[in-house]
Amino acid sequence: MVALVPTLLRQELARLAESGARLDGRGQWEARDIVLETDCLYNGEGSAKVVWGDTIIYAGVKFEMRTPWPDRPNQGSLMCSAELRPIAGRKYEPGPPSPESIELGRVVDRGIRESGCIDMEKLCIVPGEKVWGVMIDIHVLSDQGNMFDACALAAIAALRTAIVPAERFDVGEDYTLKVKSTPIMASFTRVGGRYVFDPSAEEELGGDERIHITLGDEGHLHSLQKGLKGVFTPEEFAEIFDVAQSRCVDLRKLVANQEGN
Amino acid sequence: MGGYGDVKLLREDGLRLDGRKIDEMRPIEIEAGILPGADGSAWVKHGLNIAVAAVYGPMEAHPRKIQRQDRCVIDVRYNMAPFSTSDRIRPGYNRRSREISKVTSEALESVVICERYPRSKIRVEIEILSAEAGTRCVGITAASVALADAGIPMRDLLVGVASGKVEDIVVLDLDKAEDNYGQADLPVGILPNTGEIAFLQMDGDLSPDEFNLAMEYNFKAAAEIHEIMVDALKRRYEGGEN
Repeated sequence: MVALVPTLLRQELARLAESGARLDGRGQWEARDIVLETDCLYNGEGSAKVVWGDTIIYAGVKFEMRTPWPDRPNQGSLMCSAELRPIAGRKYEPGPPSPESIELGRVVDRGIRESGCIDMEKLCIVPGEKVWGVMIDIHVLSDQGNMFDACALAAIAALRTAIVPAERFDVGEDYTLKVKSTPIMASFTRVGGRYVFDPSAEEELGGDERIHITLGDEGHLHSLQKGLKGVFTPEEFAEIFDVAQSRCVDLRKLVANQEGN
Repeated sequence: MGGYGDVKLLREDGLRLDGRKIDEMRPIEIEAGILPGADGSAWVKHGLNIAVAAVYGPMEAHPRKIQRQDRCVIDVRYNMAPFSTSDRIRPGYNRRSREISKVTSEALESVVICERYPRSKIRVEIEILSAEAGTRCVGITAASVALADAGIPMRDLLVGVASGKVEDIVVLDLDKAEDNYGQADLPVGILPNTGEIAFLQMDGDLSPDEFNLAMEYNFKAAAEIHEIMVDALKRRYEGGEN
């Protein structure tokens, strides 16, 4: 379905931006309410549910036993993918994975993978023969804005609660997967000419390009992505990068609170 | 039905492995209107099963060849999340989900007053987030609460429920072990107010008497589930929301 962007919405967003205001009254860098719940799915080896404003995401972790890649005989693997099922909203249609859902899964995947939070060699069971494949599946139930951040949060929270199901595969006792850090994504969308954090569905509809930043525990960059049509300046990036640092710290606390630390 | 005879499914005291009586359902919780972006939605937890259903529409039916001049079509998609089962399911459609989607759609078309919306389409999305036997029934229950939540006129709420047979005993609402190792499974969709049946499948081995008893259990359970569905819909509209 073609999303028609009413000129009036764009004009209103531009007018609000002049006085630093937003449609729902939030500040420029202010997020909607976020509720994170972990261990919420019986069959997931790790699971999380994120309700971020009206956006609702589930993530589940499953383990597979597989033979290692020939060039990395003592390393397991990690893969994160997202499904944008037609339940997620009126505009989503059935069919093979859309470019949007592939981008979503891959950007989240890169942030987690490149942070090095999982030691791939620890996923080796028998070198050259058996390794664990860790699969993080993200299921979008409701897309009402800022899906990327909500998905990334659900994915890392689910991963951090994962139990390796060794007993079911007859290779010893179950144990908690070691996850060394908590990579967090913060995304910014140009709305009414300037960037905002955590756009609502309406702001996304009437907005322009977006930038996704994934930061590790020490504030290092682990993945970047610019999506949709539009350009930005280095000065603009410097500004949102500063905001991303503080937003990621807040979000990381949410994950830590779930784990009872 | 697996039908492996060597797995004990009933205890010495005649109760089932999870402690239920033979005509006892697993606990059910229902919530209506959980997805803000959908026209109607429902969340159903039935034992360890979790299904979420969303309704979008009525909307224009396209492509045009699927349009019906005198009624709407109901486009159902039943899907299991990759993490819903103990072994990960590869994303995407498979033969099982296509068949369940088809018969669920036909069951819902039998209860929705489709003549009200000529040339339209109603999209029903059923996502199984956690699966522990009986997901098609949980999906039907969720879908019909979501349709009611969307304000779509229906002749009745359709209730999904199943009975089956384990160790030659007819039991209500099979759990995972009973489904895997039992002798029969009889999932039905019941209209509790009219006593009609809109969905019917069965596999395994049942005598005519066993079939009748299983149906009796199903009707009794459908009445109970119906109350929980009605209660969820009432709760949704209490307090003047929407």
